[in-house]
Amino acid sequence: MRNADRLCLAHFWLAFVAFAGAAMLGAWQMWVRSPLGAHTGTPGQYYMSVTAHGVAMAYVLSTFFIMGFGYFVAVTALHRPLSGKGWAWTAFVVGVIGVAMTLVTIALGKASVLYTFYPPLTASPWFYIGLILVVAASWVWCVLMLVSMAAWKRENPGRPVPLAMFATVANAVLWLWTTVGMAAELVYQVLPAALGFVQTIDVGLSRTLFSWTLHAIVYFWLIPAYIAYYTMLPRAAGGRLYSDTMGRLTFVFFLIYSLPVGLHHLLMDPEHGNGFKLIQVLLTAFVTAPTVLTIFTIPASLEIAGRLRGGRGVFGWIAALPWDCPMVLAAGLSFVMLGFGGLGGLINMAYGMNAMIHNTSWVTAHFHLIYGGAAVIMYFAIAYEIWPRLTGRQHESLVPLRWQLWLWFVGMMTMTLPWHWLGLEGQWRRVANFNYDNPLIASWGPLVIVSLGGGLLLLASALLFVRNLAVLHRGVVPASARPLYALAVDPPQRLPAALNGFGLWNVLVLLSMLLAYGFPIAQFVVAPSPTAIVHRAE
Amino acid sequence: MAEPSDPRVLDQPWRIWASIAVMAIVLSGALLGVLIIPVVQGRSAGIDAYTAICRALGILPGSPARPQIVDRNPPTPVSQVVWTPGLLQTLAEATPERGHAKVQEVCSACHGEQGVSVSTEFPNLAGQSGTAIYKQLNDYRSGSRTNPLMTDIAKALDETIIADVAAYYAGQPTRNPDPSTLAVAPDAIVRLVELGDPNRNIPPCAACHRQGAGGPIDAPVLAEQRQEYLTSQLKMFASGERRNDVYGRMRTIAAKLTEGEINGLAVYYRAGFR
Amino acid sequence: MSEGLQQTHERRVLGTELLWAFGVGVLVTATLSLIVFTALTRGINPPSNVERVDPKTLHLSGEFAEQNLGTVVAADGIVTARIIATQFMFAPHCIALPQGQPVTLRFASPDVIHGILITGTNVNTMVVPGYVAQVHTEFTRGGELLMPCHEYCGLGHSEMWANVQVLSAGEFKPDRDGRLTCAQR
Repeated sequence: MRNADRLCLAHFWLAFVAFAGAAMLGAWQMWVRSPLGAHTGTPGQYYMSVTAHGVAMAYVLSTFFIMGFGYFVAVTALHRPLSGKGWAWTAFVVGVIGVAMTLVTIALGKASVLYTFYPPLTASPWFYIGLILVVAASWVWCVLMLVSMAAWKRENPGRPVPLAMFATVANAVLWLWTTVGMAAELVYQVLPAALGFVQTIDVGLSRTLFSWTLHAIVYFWLIPAYIAYYTMLPRAAGGRLYSDTMGRLTFVFFLIYSLPVGLHHLLMDPEHGNGFKLIQVLLTAFVTAPTVLTIFTIPASLEIAGRLRGGRGVFGWIAALPWDCPMVLAAGLSFVMLGFGGLGGLINMAYGMNAMIHNTSWVTAHFHLIYGGAAVIMYFAIAYEIWPRLTGRQHESLVPLRWQLWLWFVGMMTMTLPWHWLGLEGQWRRVANFNYDNPLIASWGPLVIVSLGGGLLLLASALLFVRNLAVLHRGVVPASARPLYALAVDPPQRLPAALNGFGLWNVLVLLSMLLAYGFPIAQFVVAPSPTAIVHRAE
Repeated sequence: MAEPSDPRVLDQPWRIWASIAVMAIVLSGALLGVLIIPVVQGRSAGIDAYTAICRALGILPGSPARPQIVDRNPPTPVSQVVWTPGLLQTLAEATPERGHAKVQEVCSACHGEQGVSVSTEFPNLAGQSGTAIYKQLNDYRSGSRTNPLMTDIAKALDETIIADVAAYYAGQPTRNPDPSTLAVAPDAIVRLVELGDPNRNIPPCAACHRQGAGGPIDAPVLAEQRQEYLTSQLKMFASGERRNDVYGRMRTIAAKLTEGEINGLAVYYRAGFR
Repeated sequence: MSEGLQQTHERRVLGTELLWAFGVGVLVTATLSLIVFTALTRGINPPSNVERVDPKTLHLSGEFAEQNLGTVVAADGIVTARIIATQFMFAPHCIALPQGQPVTLRFASPDVIHGILITGTNVNTMVVPGYVAQVHTEFTRGGELLMPCHEYCGLGHSEMWANVQVLSAGEFKPDRDGRLTCAQR
């Protein structure tokens, strides 16, 4: 794996350093919001922190981790050197410049517009240009993933693409589709306003374009966790993947159903009619399918491992699993968080219930639990699994790794469960200072303090994670070669093109997007909203 | 068993069935959302099918399930100034030199040629926000804001010269704040300026009045303003005597401030804190 | 394993997956049916009202001028409340509404995106400049409720909230013009 080690490590370290910094900011934010830290810090500082935390966690940690992981899979799953390594490094440098531009602008207080940057609040243009550079770097990654898969298929005609690579490319294709919305909003609307070329902005259109990206991006973040579930976890547990076909279908489902559902982030918005909201709610119900299918396939795969290790009885195989293996432990904890987060997602989707919790702490709880919890804990597990291959050193002890994972799980549950409850009580989002003199708000105080406790555990876990990886670079125990990817119970011999490539699915995505988003976007061209004056927050 | 190397045998059924499945799902959503639900809802609300469907699409306002409200036409607005891109363009292209000439002719007698006023009850205008000056002059012209001296003066001006005067004063340099007074800002006042008071619904003054905060575009700069002027304006907002703040933003806030806070804020801003 | 045996095995595995997938389909259909059912029988919809209004001239005249804000009872008894959400307050700051009667709330913003929820109820909508946000609802319980701005609107967002007074039939007494402001308590 010498070929792309440094490239992968560079991406991972950028992601994880941003993650650690953002974790510290998150803990500070929780302190300031709680009764214990009331009236500490100004709103200017708070919203600067929220913007930095959001950008680092949502755009830097995720994108660079996924890019690094993708390069790793392209080399190890396909057993070939990475195509276009020069391009990959160039893209990385462009990405680093973009991250620096964005974070420095935020730190100067010229971009306190939050990671969702809803116009007409407008930041310094450097904030947006930085983000555009990060997206551009990721597009290079997408192309390289497609090129790698195509090259392998040419070299191996008629053979099934290894599942890990198929899933990675599915994610790359998804990302290309996903970023169109945000890119269009930035280039066509927000950047001209930020540069001062226009003084007004069509807010309905910008929210709609952003919603295109806003849902699909969370699946972009989630898919690496699923890649680990399907291709690494069964091997780590000592078993096999129950069904390769269902694995492929899961990723295909994600590709099709993540995109034409963005309007469910705008269920409470006035600028769209009920009809299109219902269409996209219906499609959202189908994006639950791949997760629920996974809830069968992965435990089935683990059951094979458990029984091979001697587990007996209906549930005896669960205890027999190697829970001391970080990948297995992380997956188990991830599934618990996925369960809670997924149920929360179903509630968000039903607009009658959404009306109770929109823009409350419930939403904050939901995405911290499902992304920060279920997905990111698998990022940790993937890092722990592949770091020895990247550094050539083995973990000296798995105990700190398990501690870190447990701390993350307990911290995340402690932080998010009270938040869910507070959201139901009506606690609203993005508040720098609560009025704890109001009796209703004062009654929320104890739960806010509990979730602050969770946040502090998460901070400890984040720092321990970085430490666990850093020590490997100076480790002494050489890594032992071990197979990484799982075999399926029935390895595929011959697959239909639909399960080996994305031609058909791209066509179906295009058609669904035209039907689901066509009119909602076209209405702004045909009958533009009355525009709003730009409010410059710089 | 069919020829294993013939791709069509394997691929074709996938293409057909996947397309049918996905399209069926999307179209059933459309059928339900755009046709069935609005028509059924409209029927129980007494709304005809065509209107209900248009509402569901978003072509007509309202809900397919409830009759739409008919709105009334009400009386006089509090300010006639409308911030359009055209107006912002006019302000950006104004001629400060023409404004300077008018200032020497009319305004400097009270507001000073450099924008430092001759007496404490007249406001300083040096370095004031151009949009703020423009709005106040127009409000005097339209009667949204009244003052025995300013009303007649403003009525004699036209839109263009107002923009020029605004641009001129906005370009005038502000003085250096007095270092000795900078040290004595009381905590409670600083708290109001930076944090506001959530107990009383008061946002931080800085959230609107500091440059780059992203607040209303006609929010005036308060730094180095005359203390007596600030005090009198806050009191006039509190009593409702001054009512040209759109939607009562300042009236609502000023009514909640105590006398001590009003005085404290005026002292704070006179010293030059931004 | 011979190819025939492998194929049988493969089919059995897929069979179990398809059985589970059928269960998934049932779950998806049940969830959607519930939503469609409440839509058809109780008229439950997300708040949608594609009604365009110019944020720049909102204060001039028309429905959202300052004097026309607040609760008004029309001659036919329909209760409407018009509220402006702006940086960083609501106008009017306190809204009086009746208990047990259908009401329509109409919101507009002259500047940036705001949003509202009313605690203890499912009244929730975004207020997007360029559109009138409309919510049809009925308050089942009386009392003093909080209506905060729940979408980030700038540095004063944390201090932006209004009060909603839900008055019983006896207390809900509009004046001669049909207008009503909050009772002083």
